[in-house]
Amino acid sequence: MKPESRGLLDRLGGPVIVFGVVGLVVGAALVPYAWNTTRGPDGTVAVIEVHGTINGDTATAAIDAMREARQNESIEAVVLDVNSRGGTASASEQLYLAVKETKQEMPVVASVTGLAASGGYYTSAPADAIYVAPANAIGSIGVRATVPPQDTPDNQITSGPDKYSTATESEARQRVETLRRAFVGAVYEERSDELELSREELSHGKVYSGSEGVELGLADEVGGIDAAIDDAAGRAGLSDYETTRVESPSPSTLSQIGLNASESDGPTVESVRYFMIHGQLNVGGSADRTEVTRNGTN
Amino acid sequence: MARTDLLKGLAVFAVVVAVVLASTAATGALLSGSPSNSSAPNVSAYDTDTLLTTPVADDGTVDAVDQAESKTVVIDLSHGNAVSKDAMQPMVDALVSDGHQVRFYSGGDDQSFGASGSSTLNSTLQSADAFVVANPASSYTAGEINGVESFAEAGGRVLLLADPVPKASTGGSSIEIPLAGSSGSTSSPGQPTNLATEFGITFGSGYLYDMDENANNYQSVYAGGVGNGSLSTGVDRLVVRDATPLQTSANATTVAQAEGTSLSSTRRAGTYTVAARVGNLAAVGDTSFLSPASATLADNDAFVSNLATFLVSGEKEPGAPNADSGATQPGGITQPPSGNVTAP
Repeated sequence: MKPESRGLLDRLGGPVIVFGVVGLVVGAALVPYAWNTTRGPDGTVAVIEVHGTINGDTATAAIDAMREARQNESIEAVVLDVNSRGGTASASEQLYLAVKETKQEMPVVASVTGLAASGGYYTSAPADAIYVAPANAIGSIGVRATVPPQDTPDNQITSGPDKYSTATESEARQRVETLRRAFVGAVYEERSDELELSREELSHGKVYSGSEGVELGLADEVGGIDAAIDDAAGRAGLSDYETTRVESPSPSTLSQIGLNASESDGPTVESVRYFMIHGQLNVGGSADRTEVTRNGTN
Repeated sequence: MARTDLLKGLAVFAVVVAVVLASTAATGALLSGSPSNSSAPNVSAYDTDTLLTTPVADDGTVDAVDQAESKTVVIDLSHGNAVSKDAMQPMVDALVSDGHQVRFYSGGDDQSFGASGSSTLNSTLQSADAFVVANPASSYTAGEINGVESFAEAGGRVLLLADPVPKASTGGSSIEIPLAGSSGSTSSPGQPTNLATEFGITFGSGYLYDMDENANNYQSVYAGGVGNGSLSTGVDRLVVRDATPLQTSANATTVAQAEGTSLSSTRRAGTYTVAARVGNLAAVGDTSFLSPASATLADNDAFVSNLATFLVSGEKEPGAPNADSGATQPGGITQPPSGNVTAP
């Protein structure tokens, strides 16, 4: 029996079966790759959040995410999910530059999901398209600064008259004007083809509704974030794509109450601070001028 | 034999390793040729030349007044006037250095209830040659207004200064103080409306701004001198900050006006009067130009000198206003705050 059975195996081609089984195993292992090649997404659209007040932490997170998007070959487009009233002037400018740099390599579409005011709009301005909803608020293009403190406190010794105050009031005004020119100039540069507003009108610092924003050229389309993602994918030539979301860091409890010493722009040092922010400015300290006023027409 | 096989095997191994490493390095070198990092974006809006501001010329000097006769100028602080002595220092210096007296009137000495505050102000005015009112927080009584009017009619010089009245609420951060009356204890600026209207002048509501041509801030607007009167001599370009426009009657002369500016309360662009003169009274819708930081900007120094000269160049009849000019007031009884007349 034995010699007969061995002969049968030989006749059926024993090595062929062995190779066939091995081939099946290897092929099965490669099935996912083959499947993905034909049926998988063409690329990824990264949805990067710019939520909350723009400060060093939130700006760094978004800027890092954009750098990752530029370096990761699977990411083909970026959608900015903007819901911010702005923040510090320096962080807003950094975000603007990062968006501009990202746009050089891939489509960037901004979707305003709540508010894109001041620094929040600065971040959105370079995008290929800005999507808004009618109830969104956008605009507030301008700069605010705290008034320099008048005198050095008695319990401090400084090496010069401006060491504590950082600038005279007139110099602080000039710096606000310089930052305004940069902000307005940048918005004008990015959206000059669409804008219906002059530089002077932009400088008023108005907040517009989403509908008005489209009418005036501050935004492009009325639509939700899915429309923005579709648009970004289309601009990148992706018919089939997946999305990945990068969330903004949630503010720590300490920084919410103004005690985060690691926050570079935090109210730990009394000096002039410059903001591109809309709404209540809570800076603490004596620079936050709470005034008692009443009508005095006499 | 076995040794030769081992050597052959090692040689093949070395060659294979070398080929793998070389091909990996070559592939890496080839791929690195494709740019993975873009160049920094070009932002023409950030060109330094267009961003940096040009400071307004700040080389003026407020010249001392040149008048032979020594005069007395009274600056009112008795109505909660929201202007400090420091804020008027350049004008005060110009007067004092020419030998004139400057007195800050902070209220009467008479503390008895029912005593008329107007009579103490009017008796102060009797010995004065000029009277300056800036941003009063409380009203002038009818008696005081009569007194100032007869003071001006008698040749005394009057200067009214006012900034825009701030809105009652400042974004939810204001604090209501129900007990704060109109005794002049607050420093909230108001306007001498009743006093000014007697002379045919009203101060406006809101501030002037210019989004296009300004002194590095939209609220710092340029105004030019009008005509060739003594007040506008040498005043080509004034810098006023947070100024309010004046409405004047036909008999008033415009001294300075801001062209191409807009008013915050109406958003209308136009030419607004910021300084005017009616006889012996001058009115300016701004106080910032008097401050040490602003008095030397552009031609502000000439305007401050002109105003100082205006104050001491009147010829007032001695004794005016007479004592009973304030006695006819209809129920304008006020409790004068404590204080006295002090030299600066």
